[in-house]
Amino acid sequence: MKKFYRCYVCGDIHFGVKAPEVCPTCLVKNAYVEISSDEAERTMEPFKTTMSKSEFRRAIGKFAEKNEFEVNPDEAKVATLLDGVEENEKNHGFKYCPCRLQTKDFNEDLKLVCPCNFIIHETYKGKEDGECWCGLFVRRKK
Amino acid sequence: MRKVIMFHARECPHCKAMMPHVDRLEKEENVKFERLEVWHDEKNADLMRSYRPVIAPKCGGQLRTPTFFCPETSDVLCGEVPYDKLKEWALKQG
Repeated sequence: MKKFYRCYVCGDIHFGVKAPEVCPTCLVKNAYVEISSDEAERTMEPFKTTMSKSEFRRAIGKFAEKNEFEVNPDEAKVATLLDGVEENEKNHGFKYCPCRLQTKDFNEDLKLVCPCNFIIHETYKGKEDGECWCGLFVRRKK
Repeated sequence: MRKVIMFHARECPHCKAMMPHVDRLEKEENVKFERLEVWHDEKNADLMRSYRPVIAPKCGGQLRTPTFFCPETSDVLCGEVPYDKLKEWALKQG
C-alpha cells in the first residue's frame, strides 16, 4: 500500500510503496519518515498549482528528452490529444488517455493517466515504429 | 443488417482517421453504424463499460477507442484499421 514519507532534512514529500533510500534532492541516506496523508496535504497546500496545456506539453517534452521515445512530431495529432487530456482532467479529474475509456475502478483507471506506462503495451513493445495507445509518444528514430 | 456500434471519442485521432472509412462503408454497403461518443456522454460511456467483459479481452484488456461492436454477435474490432478490414468485419456481422 502506498504511503506518504517526508525527508527530515530538506522536507521533500514522497508518495509510494517504499521510502527512497537516498533523498534525490539533498542526497541524505535513510532520511524519509512516514507521515499521515493529512500532514502531507498540509505541507503541500502552499505549493498548490494548476498546469496549463502548454505547460503540460513542455513537461512531456522534458520527460521524453532522455528516453528512447519522443513526443509525436505530428503537431496536429498532439494538439488534438492534448485537448482530450485537458477535457478529461476538467470533466473527470485526471489526465486520462483520450483513446481509452475509464472503467470506474480507481486503481485500474490510474493506469490510463497520461503519460501511462506504454512501454509494456502491444502497440509499443518490440516494435520499431512503436507508439503509445493514443500516439502521443512514438519510439525515437535511430 | 444487424446493429453495429462504433464507440469513439471526440479527441481521439484514431477515431477521426476511421470516420471517412465508416462514411464510405455506409455509402457503399448496406451497413449503418450507431456512432456513440464515450468521453463526453456518460450514457454512452456506461453502455461501453457494460460490454467490458466482452470487449476488453479482444482489445488488449482495455476499453479502447475506436471500438466497433456488434451486440448480437458479440464480435469486436478495435483500433485504427484499413478500410478493407473494417468492411470485412462489418459484412461478417450479417
